[in-house]
Amino acid sequence: MSALTQTARPSLLRRWGGLALWLLLLLLLAIYPYTGVTGSTLFTATQVFVLVTLASNWNLIGGMTGYVDFGHAVFFGLGAYSMGILVTRVPLAFSPELSFWQALPLAGLVAALFALIIGLPTLRLKGPYFSIAMLGTFVAMREIIRILRPITGGGTGLDLPPVLNRVNEYYFMLGLMGLVVALIWWIRRSEFGYTLIAIREDEIGAEMRGINTTVHKIIAFMIAAFFTGIVGAFWAWQNTYIDPDVVFIEQRTVEMVMMSMLGGLGTVWGPPLGAVVIYFLQDVVWGNLLNFHLMALGILLILLVLFLPEGILGSLGDPSSTSLGRLLRRAGRGRE
Amino acid sequence: MDQFLQALASGLLLGGFYAVMVLGFSIIWGVMGVINLAHGEFLMIGAYAAWALFRAFGLDPFASLVIILPVMFVVGYALQTILLNRVVERPHLMALLVTFGVSISLANLYKVLYSADPRSVPVSYNGSFELFGVTMPIVKTIIFFLALLIMGLLHLFLHHTRLGKSIRAAAQNKDAARIVGIEIHKVYAITAGICIALTAGAGAMLSPTQAIFPFMGPPFTLKAFTITALGGLGRIPGALLGGLLLGVTELMVATYVPGIGTNLGVAVSFVLLVIILIVRPQGLLGGLRPMEVE
Amino acid sequence: MNSQQPLLEGRDVYKFFGGLAAVNGVDFAVYPGEIVGLIGPNGSGKTTLFDCLTRLQSIDRGQIFFKGQEITHARPYQVARMGLARTFQVIRVYRKMTVLENMLISRQWRGEGLLDMLRPSHPDTERRARELIRFLQIEHLTDELAGHLSGGQRRLLEIGMALMPDPDILLLDEATSGINPTLIEIIKDRIRTLNREQGKTFLLIEHNINFIADLCSRVYVLNFGEKLAEGAPEEIMENEAVIEAYFGA
Repeated sequence: MSALTQTARPSLLRRWGGLALWLLLLLLLAIYPYTGVTGSTLFTATQVFVLVTLASNWNLIGGMTGYVDFGHAVFFGLGAYSMGILVTRVPLAFSPELSFWQALPLAGLVAALFALIIGLPTLRLKGPYFSIAMLGTFVAMREIIRILRPITGGGTGLDLPPVLNRVNEYYFMLGLMGLVVALIWWIRRSEFGYTLIAIREDEIGAEMRGINTTVHKIIAFMIAAFFTGIVGAFWAWQNTYIDPDVVFIEQRTVEMVMMSMLGGLGTVWGPPLGAVVIYFLQDVVWGNLLNFHLMALGILLILLVLFLPEGILGSLGDPSSTSLGRLLRRAGRGRE
Repeated sequence: MDQFLQALASGLLLGGFYAVMVLGFSIIWGVMGVINLAHGEFLMIGAYAAWALFRAFGLDPFASLVIILPVMFVVGYALQTILLNRVVERPHLMALLVTFGVSISLANLYKVLYSADPRSVPVSYNGSFELFGVTMPIVKTIIFFLALLIMGLLHLFLHHTRLGKSIRAAAQNKDAARIVGIEIHKVYAITAGICIALTAGAGAMLSPTQAIFPFMGPPFTLKAFTITALGGLGRIPGALLGGLLLGVTELMVATYVPGIGTNLGVAVSFVLLVIILIVRPQGLLGGLRPMEVE
Repeated sequence: MNSQQPLLEGRDVYKFFGGLAAVNGVDFAVYPGEIVGLIGPNGSGKTTLFDCLTRLQSIDRGQIFFKGQEITHARPYQVARMGLARTFQVIRVYRKMTVLENMLISRQWRGEGLLDMLRPSHPDTERRARELIRFLQIEHLTDELAGHLSGGQRRLLEIGMALMPDPDILLLDEATSGINPTLIEIIKDRIRTLNREQGKTFLLIEHNINFIADLCSRVYVLNFGEKLAEGAPEEIMENEAVIEAYFGA
């Protein structure tokens, strides 16, 4: 149901129910560490939070605006490297803990700025060309980082001082995830969200109705890049080591696409659901097939596209979604 | 001046290789509308095949083409029949995602099979000779002429055989081709077989010149995209032109821009691609289609 | 015709696709309050001209003016905000949204800041949307998904969406194609009402000659991208060159 129609007002529950449940969940998760769990459980939970955040972010540009970004992990990488460079090459503060907090928003800003620069040419491209251009950006960035050895440490990478512990990692990601999903929820109900959906459904029509599509696309892209960059920066801290091959892995960019697809493109709750499912699949099921799990990821993507393009929530008929199927059909309308 | 000539010569040699490397990608795109993101992986498979044959039988990589080409033709045919024919008449994005999945699966399959350790094919004739004061590596020169030969043969095939003409007809107008009685899906399967074989063959040719590892694919896929943007879909002269352009640009940058390592090829082709897409979104020779009124 | 300034004007407009001139040196003007027709055989460049006027396509030569201002290089959304609205040959509505939602999203966009955009929409917008839905006689479909409407109903919705921003001029591209006669009468009537009561200007691409004859005070005829004739509907219909273009060799 839409927030645009106010006289046909859905009940208060309908409108705020989702957010209320989300806040409740966050509260429960906040208390969780006090129930006496191990560090490794917290670590696992943190990883899930990371995936949920990445999926929701990607969904903003990929699902809601309809620009399927195959290289979004480039922002993750830029965030990670910004953090790495700022902390090791640029003495920002007097103690490592402060550096983390200072470098974090900067990392996000670097990612957002790059989104602006690369978005201006690439967001002009239609469907698959945009996807490939972003994939190319991702692949190229890996090599560019490797080449810029003096700044980035090239192939040998950078080491960051270990500062965070499992508990504050957990709370940080919990907070970030909570914020990002709530933001997506808010955007979805707002005029900005409806503009993005209008752009996705019919960009020419939107432009003809006075919507400055370029500005809207760029803003969505920058927001998605900003938070992805912050997750990347966090990851760099957690991992304490970064190099081009560890940061810029195809897996990340595939995961982002698949989590949203699986859960339901364009919905608010689909990508988080998809993230949890993907994590479960990867860690629990495939953990046993250790070496094959990335291969299985690829196969899963193929099967998903061929047999479940609607995603889980899309198949259940969530009207706010666009299924991959519809996205494909719409993109296909301009096909030669 | 010497430096310039050397860069030019090396760039042309590299460009010739790129041209034959991109053919498979470009033709699949032109004929079927499928952008094959697993392109680099088939190149990788060809390289590994040459390495395996070299290691087991001492078979020269160029000679091993005799085995690799037919085998990979079958693989390509099977791939098309089982998988790609399902996405051929659907929107581009679907094929992109599916081939992306294939790319990931294949790269990681090979990681499991052979580990990520780089392999090499040290042939005995990897020296070079002098030509007008320019150093010409033997292997790369062989590749260059072999590439031209293959392109010539392919051109003859496409323009002077019935099958080749069916393929070109299918590329230009699927429905008309069908009416004339051409079985489209079979034509696609054969096309895919040829293209995959070509790509794997290029990989085999590549094997003596660089390290072989499971994740070597993506830069080549990116370059293939750039070259196709430069030269147009499914066109051999375009592929040659685009390939030479890219090759020469890469070498010029490597020679004249100081302090850059050896991995700049990808960066160069990417920057080139972005420039092309900004200036002329439909590609240099008009192959691509930008955001426009439907 | 009028001594006032044209509302929408094209001077010496050329548009080439490769070697083909889709629009080949066309001059025209639409004055405020007119209903002008644009006819011609298929492929004569009518829709391309519309695309050029609405800036979905760039022209290769010539100039376009709207309300006295040159818009030859403006972005489509800028022209839309100046008061120009358009419908398409292939109907563009948001199929997964309801009729009302389609109308709401077509409201007048004036470039709000991000903060405004984060709020749900204004009650005035909804009031206007409902009025227009009533005006177009599709009130019973207000909460129906646009994808479930018939072709004719969707056409009315599209016109409604074009009216939401209260444009000064509407460019309708084959508004009657594939529509049943009853709905055609409704469209005709609504256009007349908007023209008489609100002074809205119309430029209509049509194949339906009766429709044109009933509504338009002036008609332009295009053929092969060139202006073949111009004048009142009666004159046009007796013009030999026009007849030949439509029926001749």
